[in-house]
Amino acid sequence: MTLLQWAFDGLLGITLIWLAWRTLASADLFKAIVLFIAFGLLMSLAWVRLNAPDIALAEAAIGAGLTGALLLVALARLNVVAAQTGDIESNTKQISAPEDSARTTAVVGQGVSNKHNLFQYFLVLMLSAVAAGLAYAVLSLPSEAPGLSRDVAENLNVSGVSNPVTAVLLNFRGYDTLLEMAVLLLALLGVWSLNRLPEQYESSPGLVLDMLSRLLVPLLLLVAGYLLWVGSRAPGGAFQAGSVLAAAGVLLLLAGWRPAARFLGWPLRFALIIGLAVFVSVALLMMLPGGQLLQLPPAFAGALILLIETAATLSIGVTLAALFYGSRPRSEQIPPHHTGSGGENE
Amino acid sequence: MLIVLPLIGTLLCFLLPRQVKALGLMTALAIAASAVALLWQLLQQGAMRYSVGGWGAPLGIDLYADGLSLLMLLITATVGLAISIYANAAFKLDKLVHFWPLWLLLWTALNALFLSADLFNLYVSLELLGLSAVALVALAGGSAALGAAMRYLLVSLLGSMLYLLGLALLYHSFASVDIAILAQRMESTPAVWAAMALMTVGLLLKTALFPLHFWLPPAHANAPAAVSALLSALVVKGSFYILLRLWLEVFPLSHAAPGQLLGLLGAAAILWGGVQALRQTRLKMLIAYSTVSQLGYLFIAFPLATTMAWKGAMYLLLSHALAKSAMFLAAGNLLLFGGHDRITQLDRVAQRLPLTLAAFALAGVSIIGLPISGGFIGKWLLLTAAMQSGEWGWAVVMILGSLLAAAYIFKVIGYAFTQAEVTHEACEVSKTMGATAFVLALAAIVLGLIAPWLLALMDIAEPFAMSSAALNAGAAA
Repeated sequence: MTLLQWAFDGLLGITLIWLAWRTLASADLFKAIVLFIAFGLLMSLAWVRLNAPDIALAEAAIGAGLTGALLLVALARLNVVAAQTGDIESNTKQISAPEDSARTTAVVGQGVSNKHNLFQYFLVLMLSAVAAGLAYAVLSLPSEAPGLSRDVAENLNVSGVSNPVTAVLLNFRGYDTLLEMAVLLLALLGVWSLNRLPEQYESSPGLVLDMLSRLLVPLLLLVAGYLLWVGSRAPGGAFQAGSVLAAAGVLLLLAGWRPAARFLGWPLRFALIIGLAVFVSVALLMMLPGGQLLQLPPAFAGALILLIETAATLSIGVTLAALFYGSRPRSEQIPPHHTGSGGENE
Repeated sequence: MLIVLPLIGTLLCFLLPRQVKALGLMTALAIAASAVALLWQLLQQGAMRYSVGGWGAPLGIDLYADGLSLLMLLITATVGLAISIYANAAFKLDKLVHFWPLWLLLWTALNALFLSADLFNLYVSLELLGLSAVALVALAGGSAALGAAMRYLLVSLLGSMLYLLGLALLYHSFASVDIAILAQRMESTPAVWAAMALMTVGLLLKTALFPLHFWLPPAHANAPAAVSALLSALVVKGSFYILLRLWLEVFPLSHAAPGQLLGLLGAAAILWGGVQALRQTRLKMLIAYSTVSQLGYLFIAFPLATTMAWKGAMYLLLSHALAKSAMFLAAGNLLLFGGHDRITQLDRVAQRLPLTLAAFALAGVSIIGLPISGGFIGKWLLLTAAMQSGEWGWAVVMILGSLLAAAYIFKVIGYAFTQAEVTHEACEVSKTMGATAFVLALAAIVLGLIAPWLLALMDIAEPFAMSSAALNAGAAA
């Protein structure tokens, strides 16, 4: 490693820690989110430096991009809700870091603050001890660990793809990915099961946003398709492609576009679950000729993986965009005579 | 397959929200049937190992079923089926369309968790479990439930992160995440100790062992009754199961000190949970603190670490799952009936809801550990194990805990028979809701009668043999 690389890595590491600290200590939520997005982008640089381009792509797209968008839209909604209840300031702007609250307490009463401070010192001490123990454990590890990369490399030729990461995700440990898809669906189910937010209607965007979305959305679709296709050989794949697809969706939603109501019923639900449905069906079909669950025969593995990934990309994209939209769309209404208070009332 | 079935059920329920009642119930029945089928298979051929994708460990993921996982699957199927029936009667359709997909995903997670032999796969199912549990708590709506759900979410995520960090250390050290392979390659290095500490704390956080129980009472008390029953009966047991597997198979148990610490925390949980339960004025809060107390018993097995102690803890776990779900369902009925769950105003429910109160009382018998109930067998095994090891302290704590349990159960039953001054408007409670609670409570009692058969099931592939042989050979009778 050259001196330049050392300097770059050092700077990257220090900046990351500094950004993380600033994010946590920021009293202004908006500022904290922006710092968090910057943190995600630098983090993906760090993954590149660690020779993990797949994770770098995912971190940039999901960690920085979509999570940032989700956080920002959540903050915007919070502001709306707080404005309705009439206390923006106390709810959103002034969420103070622990230090600040300690300082506030100091004004209220010296005795209380002493206790508080003591507890904080105790906490800092404990956390430092834990960190030191962890550091010792990590340093005691052998610096080179082969992991399973040799096993993966040996079996790569029968996995149907030549990108080891895709081989692990979709073939060797496809079962994990199957459950991860369920987690993603679960996130959306969880959000939809909450009460509905005030409806947002179609609005006309400004000229810039309008032009930009017209230009960018086709481009994003193209990039998503490319990432999906290239995933079998080089960094890329369903999760990255799906998040780019979701970015297109988010852009459209931001530009004020709303899908027509007739697509919001079962077509939407179908798009949301098709990834998981195709995955489960393939997994079960492989048992018919006497194989194990999810045992992809080498001859068709490549095609099957592409099939699963295509469906997964669609579902991931739609799910993430739906998460950005927030509550479930209006046409999901159950017939009025069934709606009413829940089963229990406390 | 036990994992794929609930997953398909989820998808169908999501796609066809109008038919959730029938679809969900059919799925529940199918899962229960396949759990019984697995019981049959295991009885025929002993423990089973299954390689998903045909790769086999360490490259792929293995599933593994022995007596321990079988019993967990069976209890999940029993409680799950009863709660499914209860929920269909208790919730209106607009809640059910959300309840069913979430609950079936939770069921997927539980089955996946009990069958997995792979630590990373366990992490994924743990995430699925935690998130679906949080979403179900939030289903109740209202600020108290949402606040509790949010706190539960943060705790759950913190627990998962700690577990994952420990897992990363293990993978780096031994190049595998398969439980059996790790057990062979295990050696005592600082990294292993760090991993053990991290994973144990993470899982304890999710299992809500004292003093990490702070999130449990509000989350369990504010959820809808069917969900509270699920959380107390099954969800906390999921993370306990992983902990048990880790301690029994992965980590070297040559040092007894960590086990002693867990035992002490368990003892503290028994007493603290019991006292807190006695002090509660709300029925659901009382039951939630009772869970904190009962969870403590499970950890008494760690310092004893004999086969008998493990079996006792396992037995308590099973009977607690049945009794506590019955109790929460009964509490849900009382809540619906009177519109409140203040213990002092239970208003002669003995006459007006006899089935529900009978369910509560029977479940109480098992929780206290009175003879012939499942709880009795579990406590008896634990007590005997403690006395055989000559560790009387644990026995005293267990007996004190039972006295506390008796006190808080009889407090509720006592108020149920007295006549309150204000009689208020009562809501109708359907027969199904009373009956499911009663059947569950009855099952907790029956568990005490089929003890020899169940204990034989636990011996399939002898999941408890390894540690006790390593720790104190010959101590177990």
